[in-house]
Amino acid sequence: MADGLLLVSNLSVRFGGLLALDGVALEVRDGRSTAILGPNGAGKTTLFNAVAGAVRPSEGRILFAGDDITSIPPHRRCRKGISRTFQITQPFSGLNVIENVAVAIVSRGVPMAAALREAADYVAFVGLEAKSAAPARTLSTGQRKRLELARALATRPRLLLLDEVTGGVDQPSVPELLDLIRRLRVERGITVLVIEHKMDVLHGLADDAIFLDRGRVVTSGSMADIAAHDEVRRIYLGDADAAA
Amino acid sequence: MIEVLGRRPALTLSVCVALFLLISVLPVNDYVLHILTLSLIFAMFASGWNLTLGILGLKTLGHHAFFAIGAYLSAIVAFYGGVSPWLTIWAGAALAALAGLLIGLPILRIRSMPHVAIVTLAFAEIVRLIFSNLKDITRGELGFWGIPPFDPVSFGETTIRFGLGNAWGSYVLAGAFFFAVQAGLLLLLRSRPGMTFAAIRDSEAAAESLGINLSTWKLAAFALSAGIVGLSGAIYAHYVMILTPTSVAGPEMLITLLAIIIVGGAGRFFGPLYGALLLTGSLELLREFGEYRMLLYGALVIGFVFAAPHGIAGLRIGRLRRRDRRGTRERSSAA
Repeated sequence: MADGLLLVSNLSVRFGGLLALDGVALEVRDGRSTAILGPNGAGKTTLFNAVAGAVRPSEGRILFAGDDITSIPPHRRCRKGISRTFQITQPFSGLNVIENVAVAIVSRGVPMAAALREAADYVAFVGLEAKSAAPARTLSTGQRKRLELARALATRPRLLLLDEVTGGVDQPSVPELLDLIRRLRVERGITVLVIEHKMDVLHGLADDAIFLDRGRVVTSGSMADIAAHDEVRRIYLGDADAAA
Repeated sequence: MIEVLGRRPALTLSVCVALFLLISVLPVNDYVLHILTLSLIFAMFASGWNLTLGILGLKTLGHHAFFAIGAYLSAIVAFYGGVSPWLTIWAGAALAALAGLLIGLPILRIRSMPHVAIVTLAFAEIVRLIFSNLKDITRGELGFWGIPPFDPVSFGETTIRFGLGNAWGSYVLAGAFFFAVQAGLLLLLRSRPGMTFAAIRDSEAAAESLGINLSTWKLAAFALSAGIVGLSGAIYAHYVMILTPTSVAGPEMLITLLAIIIVGGAGRFFGPLYGALLLTGSLELLREFGEYRMLLYGALVIGFVFAAPHGIAGLRIGRLRRRDRRGTRERSSAA
């Protein structure tokens, strides 16, 4: 537990009569990549939003780098080192690519000219330099995912939350995108928490995983352990043998 | 920021200033100068409102209340206190900004845009009723007349006078204030606040996730916006020298200014100026149609919304967007 960057304990989120998360516990270790898995409606995005601060938990605690962040707003979580991307991309469509990234940099207090220069580095890192001056609304889904990645990186996060980073991305672009995420860990030492539906994608991406179903943790451990877990195979992979 | 500022905004603003100065040395008749003066005052009002309505994306419909607050406070202090309007206009702007902060606080808690619109509209009605009922001070709907104009300014042998009846001086004064406000706004929008406002308008969730404190920025924008509108109201009061609660905080003012922003281009930096010039001029030209004036005015606005949904300032943006869409379609079909 000593190197646990993010520690979620007994987390419950209730939307009216619906218990979306029920006593969830999660540990994300520093420098590791952790996946959140589960079928539709399992509570993955709710857990993700609770960590990012977009959803207020009904119960439980969230510790980040030893600080209790359970009740602090998203912008303060960002300043502490938590950044995120969105399942449905949310570019600032009236701004161009460089400006989209510069928003994150000026919000750290960097002057505009320096922010635009720094933004160019992040845009180049995600391979969008040819689109630097293009309005964000003209980008394809894959390019928008990259833009969100650059924007999130520009906040200099310690923990990066990636919500279905390959969702809606054309198949040929997926390996390049995944390689980019691996480089985040290797070159920049960023800890990653990722929601992803595709098991094959996660095998190369995540070290650890947590499997949710109906708001509860079914199991957690290494990716290999999760893939071999009977309940996971039954719920998620539709394994008839496991079900039997 | 090209969608907000357009291409080369500093150059465009310089050209507008040059045209303004050119008109000031040409032999233009007083009636035209009066229309231009009103246009510049309303353009300042619309610029302030556009900051929250168009650039920040908050659908507020009560900014005529700040116009009334700026107008009445400046007029009351100047009239009863004998203070120079050169000073009282700042008090009017400051009180409007403070009112903006106060109404901004509950608005921040409302996520639903229709509710924001209703709350701000109700606030404007409350302000109108307050000024209507303070009859001992404002004389209510009978009209608060005798408001002093700006004190004359002398340069050697030349004295410039202001207020209705002094068309040239009033035109220069309104232009000086308007372009000073525009220059300040341009600087603001080209720096961190401008980018932050645009980010908040496009996605609050994404902006917040990048470390932007939504409450602080929205409140700051609301106060600044209300302050600019209050300043325009104060200048208006010392120009027309008579106020009624309905003329400054009534529905006609709301509709006129909303139309100026929509026709000029909501969320576009130059939209308020273009909209104010077109619609203030049209409104005057339509006077000969008597009671049908507002009907024709409404038809003009509706026609414009259909023909140019991004407003006058957004005509070029519309073309750029169509070109972008064509490019995207061609790339998709090539792939």
